[in-house]
Amino acid sequence: MSSPLTLPATKAARPRTALVAVGAALIAATYLYLVLVQPAEIAEGIGGTSSLITLFGFLGGGALLVAGILPSLSTSSLVLMPLGIALNIAIGQTAGSLGLQIYLDAIGTVLVAVLAGPAAGAATGALSNAIWGLFNPLALPFAAGAALIGLLAGTAARYGMFRRVYLAPVAGLVVGAVGGLVAAPVAAFMFGAAGTVGTNALVAAFRAVGDSLLVAATKQGLTSDTLDKLVVFTLVALLAYALPRRSRAQFPFLRRYGVLAGRTGSATGR
Amino acid sequence: MPRRRVFNPLTELLAAALLVVLVLVVNTWQFSLAVLVVVVVPGVLLSGKPRQIALAIAVAAGPLLISSFLLHGLFFPEGTTVLAEWGPARVTAEGLQFAALTGLRLAVFTGVLLTAALTVSIPELVSTLTHRGWNRRLVFVVGSAVGLLPHVAERARQITRAQQARGLVVGGSLPSRVRGLLMVSVPLVTGLLIDAAERTQLLESRGFSSPGPRTSYLPDTDTAGQRTARWLMAAGVLGFGCAWYAVGAGR
Repeated sequence: MSSPLTLPATKAARPRTALVAVGAALIAATYLYLVLVQPAEIAEGIGGTSSLITLFGFLGGGALLVAGILPSLSTSSLVLMPLGIALNIAIGQTAGSLGLQIYLDAIGTVLVAVLAGPAAGAATGALSNAIWGLFNPLALPFAAGAALIGLLAGTAARYGMFRRVYLAPVAGLVVGAVGGLVAAPVAAFMFGAAGTVGTNALVAAFRAVGDSLLVAATKQGLTSDTLDKLVVFTLVALLAYALPRRSRAQFPFLRRYGVLAGRTGSATGR
Repeated sequence: MPRRRVFNPLTELLAAALLVVLVLVVNTWQFSLAVLVVVVVPGVLLSGKPRQIALAIAVAAGPLLISSFLLHGLFFPEGTTVLAEWGPARVTAEGLQFAALTGLRLAVFTGVLLTAALTVSIPELVSTLTHRGWNRRLVFVVGSAVGLLPHVAERARQITRAQQARGLVVGGSLPSRVRGLLMVSVPLVTGLLIDAAERTQLLESRGFSSPGPRTSYLPDTDTAGQRTARWLMAAGVLGFGCAWYAVGAGR
């Protein structure tokens, strides 16, 4: 968007694909390494090596993703991002302190992804956990997982999963399963799978059956994350449909891909 | 009483991050405990707001520590030295040791980073980033999100009160809770989005997306000495890490 008061916008607004690709590859490599190589080590105590690799791989990959994505975003998407981040942190902090089995810390990320697209969603997810890390350092290593959630949510929105309210929970279920798989090694190798009281009860139950820590954390992730994203996606769909037309009109992503169907023509209201 | 600032925020945050890396590299409970006693405790006491920081650390790490001990103390299938047993729960020496190692590392992780983050002045950090020529979009998103946080919390509180004045009942059955959540979150998000739209126009009219250098109204508190020190610290930790692993592999 160029304003008559400023110089004409320069054309260098393409995503830096190389940075994004390297970031994504780094995250994928870290995940594969952790899952394939490390489970042998965990029995004799978590090595600092795997923690370090988790931290550097996921944080570095997230930073590269953000660096690649940011230059390509429009001002309206950029202004939306702090809003999503603030919502994530405010709601996530509350849910965590209530001891729920779900986190609810992705509402802002999914909202931004639905309104402004997958790239903005991914950047919001990664930055959100990075900034949350200033108040709660334990959120820091999950940045890559949060970026993935934003990316997948935006992609789901682009291909019409938010056109019907009943499709949104389905998309949430799938995204949550992927997110849980990615978050499990972080929880296991950084924090020994300790989380909130609610998630811990689940891990303890799986450990009592004799599962290894990574398997227990993965099962817990699959349980909590699918449930969590199901709730979050439903909430965001309800929110998006409740928004007045004027606020929705400012997002080109919504119009271009018909993200919220049936509400572009006649204004039916609620 | 606010602490007199000695170093630039960037230097302090980097030092904290490098300390965490060191703890992860060395990875013994003795070193973690030493860092906790020698660095974190004095750091909190000298920060000028020890009570606030101690509370924040307790809130962030406390539940995690307790649950870590409960989890690994009672359920650690890999453990062999059984100290006590109740049904499926077995207290093993290996489990307790594992919990102590992870717990101490967690405490250091939260303690170091929270102390650094809670004493950092965000405006000074943002101005330093601008002076150092970081991506201004990133600087805007970070600064704006941190500034928006208290605003969002305050606004949610006001909307909840307004809806309660109209007869909203918080709590009760699940459907009524969901309805209550929507009654608060819809006006909250709508209001924030309208603010964002206005901010977009304001930023555009002030040339946010135009190219060229930016001026920060706050003076640069960074010095050449600190810039050098940051590079040296990072190189030192990197060198130490490589040496540590080389020695470890040789053994």
